[in-house]
Amino acid sequence: MEKESEMRKILSVIKREYIQIVRTKGFIIGTILGPVMMVAILVIPVVMSTVAVDKQKTIGVVDLSQEIFLDLDTKLGQEDYRLDDGFRRYVLKKTALLPGVSVDELKKELNEKVLKEELSAYILVPEDVLEVEDIETAAKKEKPEERDMEYVAQHTTDIQELAELNEALNSVIIEKRLRKEGLDPQKVSQYIKRVRLTPIKVTKKGEEKDTMGTFMVSYFLALILYMAILIYGSVIMRGVIEEKSSKVVEVILSSLRPFQLMLGKILGIGAVGLTQFSIWAVFGLAATQYSQTLIPAGADFNLVSIPTYIFVYFVVFFILGYFLYATLYAAVGSMVNSEKEAQQLIMPITMFLILPLLLLIFVIRSPDSTLSVVLSLFPLFAPIIMMLRVSVLLPPFIQVGGAIVLLILAVLAMTWLAAKIFRVGILMYGKPPKFAEIVRWLRYK
Amino acid sequence: MNALEIENITKKFGDFYAVKKLSFTIPEGKIYGLLGPNGAGKTTTIRMVMNIIIPDEGSIKILDQRMDDEMKERIGYLPEDRGLYPKMKVGELLLFLSELKGLRGDPARKEIDFWLERFDLVEWKAKKVEELSRGMQQKLQFIVTVIHQPELIILDEPFSGLDPVNTKLLKDIMLEMKGKGRTIVFSTHRMEQVEMICDDICLINKAEMVLEGNLSQIKKQYGKNTVVLDYDGDAGFIQDFPEVEKIDDYGKFMEIKLKERSDPQALLRKLVGKININKYEVQEPSLNAIFIDKVGGKGVRDEEDTVSH
Repeated sequence: MEKESEMRKILSVIKREYIQIVRTKGFIIGTILGPVMMVAILVIPVVMSTVAVDKQKTIGVVDLSQEIFLDLDTKLGQEDYRLDDGFRRYVLKKTALLPGVSVDELKKELNEKVLKEELSAYILVPEDVLEVEDIETAAKKEKPEERDMEYVAQHTTDIQELAELNEALNSVIIEKRLRKEGLDPQKVSQYIKRVRLTPIKVTKKGEEKDTMGTFMVSYFLALILYMAILIYGSVIMRGVIEEKSSKVVEVILSSLRPFQLMLGKILGIGAVGLTQFSIWAVFGLAATQYSQTLIPAGADFNLVSIPTYIFVYFVVFFILGYFLYATLYAAVGSMVNSEKEAQQLIMPITMFLILPLLLLIFVIRSPDSTLSVVLSLFPLFAPIIMMLRVSVLLPPFIQVGGAIVLLILAVLAMTWLAAKIFRVGILMYGKPPKFAEIVRWLRYK
Repeated sequence: MNALEIENITKKFGDFYAVKKLSFTIPEGKIYGLLGPNGAGKTTTIRMVMNIIIPDEGSIKILDQRMDDEMKERIGYLPEDRGLYPKMKVGELLLFLSELKGLRGDPARKEIDFWLERFDLVEWKAKKVEELSRGMQQKLQFIVTVIHQPELIILDEPFSGLDPVNTKLLKDIMLEMKGKGRTIVFSTHRMEQVEMICDDICLINKAEMVLEGNLSQIKKQYGKNTVVLDYDGDAGFIQDFPEVEKIDDYGKFMEIKLKERSDPQALLRKLVGKININKYEVQEPSLNAIFIDKVGGKGVRDEEDTVSH
């Protein structure tokens, strides 16, 4: 145990690290922009896809079957397919195939029109579009085939337009086919109404309804853990490199042991991380509270309620995971002279962080498999994988506790190892050490 | 009380001896010069004293005690590689580094203001360190070294890179500290500074001690067999005189080492009329001459040590 005066010195280091970082513009901007960016990434694509090009389009229709055009025109005249100002989004232009003209010749003509932008696109409805295969031929096929229909345009990447036209055509054609067989389309649509499986999680506390919530929350928490360790780990590394390159480190070491310096840095920057998360958590909670008041009562949308134990485990795994990787980052920082040199050495560490992310989906899908259990006990993966398992299903306490104990042991071992490397590395200038050299450092008195 | 007692310390890096079986003792209140050419092991020795690296063998006692964490508060250290946090404000930096030496709160603030005033840096207190000129940063570095009133002050190559004004400032502080009974150890390869300030010296070469003791006594041992000549004209012929063992010619100034039992007056008579003599003085050898003699004629370079350990 440290003596009190020595503890106060570590405290001074913690305070310096904390204040120096929290005061920077980078931290303030990052703290504000973090959530803004997160929301932007989630929301902007959705918004953009709906805003999309709000413009009337003229679509040519070559209806070789002679049966579709009118119904399609009516369908696309419905409210669903109108622009915000009430005008039709799609104006259909019927193009008849004149006698003596082949389909290819007509297509050539229409292609010209599309290129000249007289038409935005055209659709070619085959003559036999309403015909259906007899049951026996169809049964031999592995799965029902869809009929191909040509949609020709200059660019075919407007997914929304394609989907809308596809949907309209399908509903018109299917309705026609049913009527031809003497069936009532409305009745048929009732008959073929689908059913849905509602996931319900059973825990010791009983049943609880679960939508995609658990999945999303687990994923989100794992991502946050990953980001936090990566970002604050690099902050530590950069700090150590800076101390080395500004040569201030020897002045510090005339007052502190290397271990005290390393510990102070890790704790100080960890405190910065916790501060940032707390700010985000407070704003996040406030935002959810606020948005809840916006959701109309009775709407089929319930916000995910996250059990408290998940938060507790999150904090535990964050702290332990942060410590484990922070010591590694500090050790790497002490070995090199510039961030450029650090890139190479940091690769294996980053790999250990990325690997659990690649396994996320697997673990979420089969949280109880042997592989998942083993992965979640391995200390370098445990923070992310065990956290994931905890939020997907609460594993037996022996597993969670075991992972935490292993993680604590790993943190202690890694701190010891990193301190040994840090002590020698921090005063070394010149080429970064080779592996054999690092091993030799561990034996230095 | 002894300020520093080093007994038989050895430090190896791989197969390379940085310091080998080094012993010396520094009594309290002295200025002690740790001399040696580049790479001799001075910085490694100092780092072992500071407990930054641990000796493989031997023991170090500071102020009659074993080195421990609290002892660090009683020592001021100016490393060879100067460095401060460039992004910190001057006042905050001084407060932080004082806290690491156990000086905190109002007493720390009082000392900071006192030293900033003394070094004419008051208006820079709220500025970032990186905005200061090199000379000002050096002054700041001295403040860091002495702000906690250390009993033992260790300066590694303190004069390297200093302009004449800061050199004088540092020399004044050193003498002032000595006046207060503090002990100063400083390492250098610049002999003229040592001759002016040091009481005792220790000369290290290739990790081992080659000379130790009181500076004036060491010089006396070498005897009054050196002539210092200040002259104009072409004096190259002196080398051929039978009395002369070795000369060190600077063009207008020459240090002549005489052979044993030769007569300096005879030499003077031979010189009269041949060159214009401004000064002719018989004295003890300069420390520079002793250094070169002991280290084996190897030139003393001006750059700082490049090998840290």
